[in-house]
Amino acid sequence: MRSYLSAFRLRWKMELQYRGAMIGGIICQIMFGLILIALYRALYASKPQEMPIEHVVTYVWLQQAFFRMLLASDADLLDKIRSGGIAYDLCRPLSLYGFYYARIMAQKMTGSLMRAVPMLVFASLLPKGWGISLPASVPALLCALAGLVLGLLCVSALENITMAFTMKTLDPRGIQAMLNMLMMVLSGNILPLTLFPDSWQKVITLLPYAQLLDAPIRLYTGDTPLSEAPRILALQAGWIVVLTALGILLWNRHQKQIIVQGG
Amino acid sequence: MSYIQVDHLRKTFTVRKKREKGSLLRERETVTALQDLSFQIDKGELVGYIGPNGAGKSTTVKILSGILTPDSGEVLVDGRTPWLERREHVRHIGVVFGQRMQLWWDVPILDSYDLLREIYRVPEADYKKRLDELAEALQLGDLLRTPLRLMSLGQRMRAELCGSLLHRPGLLFLDEPTIGLDAVSKLALRDFLRWENREHGTTVLLTTHDMEDISALCSRVMVLGHGQKLYDGSLPALLSRYDTSRTVIVRFEDAEIQPQLPEGAVLSREGELVKIVYAPQEIPTPDLVALLQKAGPIREMTIQPQNIDYLIASMYREMDL
Repeated sequence: MRSYLSAFRLRWKMELQYRGAMIGGIICQIMFGLILIALYRALYASKPQEMPIEHVVTYVWLQQAFFRMLLASDADLLDKIRSGGIAYDLCRPLSLYGFYYARIMAQKMTGSLMRAVPMLVFASLLPKGWGISLPASVPALLCALAGLVLGLLCVSALENITMAFTMKTLDPRGIQAMLNMLMMVLSGNILPLTLFPDSWQKVITLLPYAQLLDAPIRLYTGDTPLSEAPRILALQAGWIVVLTALGILLWNRHQKQIIVQGG
Repeated sequence: MSYIQVDHLRKTFTVRKKREKGSLLRERETVTALQDLSFQIDKGELVGYIGPNGAGKSTTVKILSGILTPDSGEVLVDGRTPWLERREHVRHIGVVFGQRMQLWWDVPILDSYDLLREIYRVPEADYKKRLDELAEALQLGDLLRTPLRLMSLGQRMRAELCGSLLHRPGLLFLDEPTIGLDAVSKLALRDFLRWENREHGTTVLLTTHDMEDISALCSRVMVLGHGQKLYDGSLPALLSRYDTSRTVIVRFEDAEIQPQLPEGAVLSREGELVKIVYAPQEIPTPDLVALLQKAGPIREMTIQPQNIDYLIASMYREMDL
């Protein structure tokens, strides 16, 4: 276990080296946030929706703040698989799945925390209707934080499945393009899931992508009442188990057939 | 029972080729990397493993280090089958792939070493001792806090080697460790390997194209070609079969002197230098030297053996590799 923690720590350190990228990312995400909010305000001005605009704005800011949790793949890792550098990792007395899981999680966590903290401070300074609102209640905040941790585990497991496919196809771009599109739409990054038609929401909220950020955000805003929290957290945990099991299965299978590239 | 025991190892790869015009499907071709390879290595041996590109050297190393699963055959390293007991096996081996990196690119190498310490569960005190020892032998002292990306190739190679030896492996696989190194780095690396082998009895399997590495380090050499073992023995014995000519370079006091040479010796001139290529089996070297001395006063003379790379090339040619 300690080896995996160390891998996590080292990847964390590595992510901290890219401060320039962090500042660029924050500016980009803030722009995105402002544009999206302007868009939803325009929509609400002509035709108000059931969901209060403050909730939508909060939703957008939280999605943008934790953007790096969703869309960020470990370029080093993909490169290793492509070029055959993975040979070294196969010579370690470790489970490759666990080793990479630790790396992926560290990157997603550091990357998003580094950006989220300054962005949320910024968003809380904006006037009402543009800025982020406080959580529905203290217990709601605690549930949301628990949900966020589970979301992180969930997205790391998803990413590790992509890695397992890359072992097979060697080029991550095809599967990434497809999965990223699914991820952006179904996680609520492009359009908050709360604005989807109710019948759609019934299905979408059950999918793994909704567990990443949508579930914790709804707990934060109070769209999901506290009484529903145990059900949501259990659903997240269930997906973690399923996705992790699937990932381990794929890794074990592909690891046996691996051909290390490049001589 | 030998330390490393390899019996009838076979491995094939499937290569998909670009589709030919007019055909719908891509062609598949089976490439045999190893066919019926067997050998043994004892503890503490330093063995050179040579062969032309694509002979199957790296495949052997990958199978021995538990990365690849062979099609058939048996391998026992210290009583373990690498691909079946991968995690236990790799705990006791060290690997250096010359053209790959194990250390992390963007962080100081000391951080990478710390991770390796955790991975191999090296006790803190032992780790400190070993790191000091390796850092001194590999002259890494000032570099430990430098990220890998800021290092030169030679420094990086030394850092990689240090990383592979931190957990005191009893067996070390080196896959072209001197690739791209300058003369000083190469010599330092060789000194270090000799020291590690002598001091700790580490068994080393060295794959390389640099014959100087082999002749400096290995008492035993195995030649691989087309996935088969073609030679197993000492390097001088191997070379003597192909070492059939010598070159004498003479500079006479008077550049006009034209020595009379026996049949079979070939003379050429490069400015003031006279170059004579001959076969010592047919023309004994003392006879030739006496003949040259008779021709006129000599200012300078050197006798050179054949270039080792040239010997290996003619060997590969003869073996049809």
